[in-house]
Amino acid sequence: MRKDLVFGMAGSGGDGIVSAGDSLLQAAAAEGYHGVMTKSFGSQIRGGESSCRVRISTTPILNPGGNLDVAVALNWEDFLKFGAELPVSGNTVVIYEAATNIKESEIPLVGVTPLQVIAVPIAAMAKETAGTERAKNTVVLGLIAGWFGIGAVAVMKGIRKKLAKKGEELVEANQRAFDAGRAFAMEHPLKASMNVLPSETKGAVKLITDGNDMCAAAAIFAGCQFFGGYPITPSTEIMQFFTEHVWRYGGSVLQAEDEIAGIGAAVGASFAGKKAMTATSGPGLSLKAEMMGLASIAELPLVIVDVQRGGPSTGLPTKTEQSDLFAAAFSAHGDVIRPVLAPTSVADTFRITVEAFNLAEYYQTPVIVLSDQEIASRKETLDPIDTSQFKILHRLRPAGADLQDYKRFKPTENHISPISHPGMLGGTYLASGIEHVESGAPTNSGSVHQRMNEKRTKKFDSLKERKDLFEVTGNPDAPIAMVAWGSVAGVCREALAMAQAEGLNVKLLVPYLLYPVAEGVYNDFFRSVQKGLVVEQTHLAQTYKLLRMHIDLPKGLKSLARSGANPFLPSEIVAALHLLLSELQRSHEGELQPQE
Amino acid sequence: MAIRGIDFANLSLMDALDLAILIEEEAEERYEEFAAQMDQHRTPVAAGFFRYMAGNESKHGLELSARRAQLFSDEPRTVSRAMIYDIEAPDYDAARAFMSPRKAMEAAMASEVKAHAFFVAALPALKNAEVRALFEELRDEEIEHQELVQAELAKLPPDSGLSDEDFVDEPAPQ
Amino acid sequence: MSATCELQPKDYKSDLKPIWCPGCGDFSVVQGIYRALAAIGRPAHEIAFVSGIGCSSRIPGYTTAYGFNSVHGRSLPIAQGIKMANPDLLVLAAGGDGDGFSIGGGHIAHLIRRNMDITYLVMDNQIYGLTKGQLSPTSQKGRVTCTSKYGSLEEPVNPLLYVLAYGAGFVAQASPTDLVGMAAVIEEAIRYPGFAFVNIQSPCVTYGEEAQQIKGLKAIQESLASLGHDSTDRLAAMDLAQHYGRKMHLGVFYRNPEPPPTYGDLVRERQDLLSKDALPRERILDLFIKK
Repeated sequence: MRKDLVFGMAGSGGDGIVSAGDSLLQAAAAEGYHGVMTKSFGSQIRGGESSCRVRISTTPILNPGGNLDVAVALNWEDFLKFGAELPVSGNTVVIYEAATNIKESEIPLVGVTPLQVIAVPIAAMAKETAGTERAKNTVVLGLIAGWFGIGAVAVMKGIRKKLAKKGEELVEANQRAFDAGRAFAMEHPLKASMNVLPSETKGAVKLITDGNDMCAAAAIFAGCQFFGGYPITPSTEIMQFFTEHVWRYGGSVLQAEDEIAGIGAAVGASFAGKKAMTATSGPGLSLKAEMMGLASIAELPLVIVDVQRGGPSTGLPTKTEQSDLFAAAFSAHGDVIRPVLAPTSVADTFRITVEAFNLAEYYQTPVIVLSDQEIASRKETLDPIDTSQFKILHRLRPAGADLQDYKRFKPTENHISPISHPGMLGGTYLASGIEHVESGAPTNSGSVHQRMNEKRTKKFDSLKERKDLFEVTGNPDAPIAMVAWGSVAGVCREALAMAQAEGLNVKLLVPYLLYPVAEGVYNDFFRSVQKGLVVEQTHLAQTYKLLRMHIDLPKGLKSLARSGANPFLPSEIVAALHLLLSELQRSHEGELQPQE
Repeated sequence: MAIRGIDFANLSLMDALDLAILIEEEAEERYEEFAAQMDQHRTPVAAGFFRYMAGNESKHGLELSARRAQLFSDEPRTVSRAMIYDIEAPDYDAARAFMSPRKAMEAAMASEVKAHAFFVAALPALKNAEVRALFEELRDEEIEHQELVQAELAKLPPDSGLSDEDFVDEPAPQ
Repeated sequence: MSATCELQPKDYKSDLKPIWCPGCGDFSVVQGIYRALAAIGRPAHEIAFVSGIGCSSRIPGYTTAYGFNSVHGRSLPIAQGIKMANPDLLVLAAGGDGDGFSIGGGHIAHLIRRNMDITYLVMDNQIYGLTKGQLSPTSQKGRVTCTSKYGSLEEPVNPLLYVLAYGAGFVAQASPTDLVGMAAVIEEAIRYPGFAFVNIQSPCVTYGEEAQQIKGLKAIQESLASLGHDSTDRLAAMDLAQHYGRKMHLGVFYRNPEPPPTYGDLVRERQDLLSKDALPRERILDLFIKK
């Protein structure tokens, strides 16, 4: 019996493999399992290659998984296009379409001998039972139920609900296809059983959502009343959620004519006193840069979500990457600090988005939430979140004496000045992108510019003390360490657990606050560290370089960086940690040897 | 110079006085604006002259107001600034950066000529004798104003004929 | 709305001293705005006045309203966000011809089709003054400037025809040659329930050509009222608008006699309809419960 299984399935868009993954995840959730599902697509709108990974576990899931336990290929051409996204190992059971006419001994996987390979006449079974090959995905769900013990009842319950409106005939056809798959599995048992342990929390309430919907819901929870944006993959679902829900809370949403207008309208809404947001991906972030600078100098609260994809330019629009880090920290000209936060999972996207609004409001600044394609589009099962534990902050308003002779940019001890908004009597001022004196009046003075730059940057000093925006796990005194953020953090959490199980003395730092760089937090963390890895999905090791720019890193801290769309496997990170340990041991031995 | 909705034939003395006051008021404000523009552009002599003109306009306005108060007490005004534009006030484009005192005075002179023309043009349409008398008086005053400006001009050294633009810096790009 | 009849034009004048060159047309434009605002009577703190970058974009700072002197070409998106966030505000946008029809030229079409109740004043001087006299989108073909040493090779944009074609509900033109008329047109534009556009021929005294100074403008100006133009006739308005650049027609080209609902009206309707069955904010995650 297994407590954890990773499925990877691929086919063409017409095969409905992603829809099967959805059904599997929902069924697993209904049966009380924890689940994570990620999707990945080729570049065609319809009919291109598509794939999903579904990980199901009896315990909370740290990462969508490394090597597959179960691979399902509806055709090999599509499966192979995903390469390292669907890694098959010697422990993988491979199920594939018999109609591909490829012998089980000749499947096109190079350099690996799977645990077991099974050709299944999936299309033929679908045709025979449901009258159409389109029911292949339901046959696959039946196979999974039969072989791995997930969703025997819940899958069809879900399908029944989904198709109820379309008539009993369709439901029955699916039922026959499902049953056929299940029966095939029963008749052809696996060499070694891979059934999943029953869940201990059967019947408990679970939420299922993805990072984009979670982000939008969190924003509305935080009081966001305006969204301005422009469609761009993979962030568009955030705007879609707003167009459905924000009206209910007295808010509004504008699908603008371009990325600049989207953020511009959000800047306007914030100036008018409302919490506002925009969301985009890399190319849109580039276009929004000037407006971000405007929001910084005008000291207007604003949340900008950047769901990263492969860049530069159009890059890999449907694949994940972490390479917008520099752009998030440094785009928009001039001397400016703009906080950058990054969630690591769908679940903590809630907390991080609420935090982004709080920081934006408190510091009167644009804040970037650096999500990524994987978190944004992966679905997770979640335990209910107690929203009452979250504090919601609002910008400091002028009151009483402030409004006598109102100075918008009045110097204060913490460099944060009360901010008025149109409609407020006594609070009129000129907001501007041009440098301004305390009242808001434009100036060209170098000394004022110096003073105002100090105000606008020093106000973030207290942000760098926020240790709660960092997560340290593992032995705090460990000599070996990892640093990782965003979706890569999940892989490293899993690697940490594996490494610890193998007896390695190691720890992990996950920053949720990426910028400004909190030197103090890192220095504390690195104090015990002799060897380590900064693990990231960027070709140029942007995270490593950003840290090196601010901190004297331990000499043994190395970069483990690669381009996006090529996920890290927990196992390879563990292997890299072992290597560090042996280097460390060698160097200690070197120290102990008498000098000659 | 523009007028809007003034019925000269049926103009009452009170309305005529009020219009005259508004004309002075507009001119005073315009000269103050010009003075501020000259301050802003470091042209203090022209600024001083425009302030002097604003003072004159203000004085005339006050005199007219006193007369109006005496005759009509605080009876509500029925004419408005929306009826007149640029009667005695210099045109906005009469101002220039780095105006020499001569140029400033010439601008003022043009305004006084303009105001004089306004009253001359209005006279034939007037039917009320008191209003006619007032407009004739105002017309003649414009001649006096012109003489005042002329006197200031006379105090200046002879015009060199050189253009200011030949001496100043190029505009600064922003 | 808290209207009061006591407000005077000077109540809308701020303490900031304009940086414009003496003789600039914008001095009278700002006066026209003070007058229009006083006639309408909304207190300054209920007005949001947004601009982009350019000489004319300094204008919000010279009023006592809440001003926003933003970035080049983006006054309209910001104005829209303000209006959507608080539909009760009186929202004005202003800028030059470069701001509105070149760098920010893509925005106006969309504001027009949204019909937000925003008044947009363009101070059209056919030149880039702030950067020292380069070619602008409304410069005449053949115009010699420092970026068109041998004359411009491009036809100018026709702002009037542009906005009429996009379907603006209120389109007018004004000029400092007639401050009273300008104030009246701006007032009418603000009162129009929906998007309103006023093109103001405001000469650049430093880089403008002689023909485009007040005297030159006076020579080609013609009041639409005196021509007997019917401002409810959009096609007639477009016909007249074709003379942009040769004649200067002053007054209202087009005013939709039956103004459609504004974007704000529609938003409010939708909010009212949907807010009835809203989950409380703190329970929004219930949307994700799978049973």
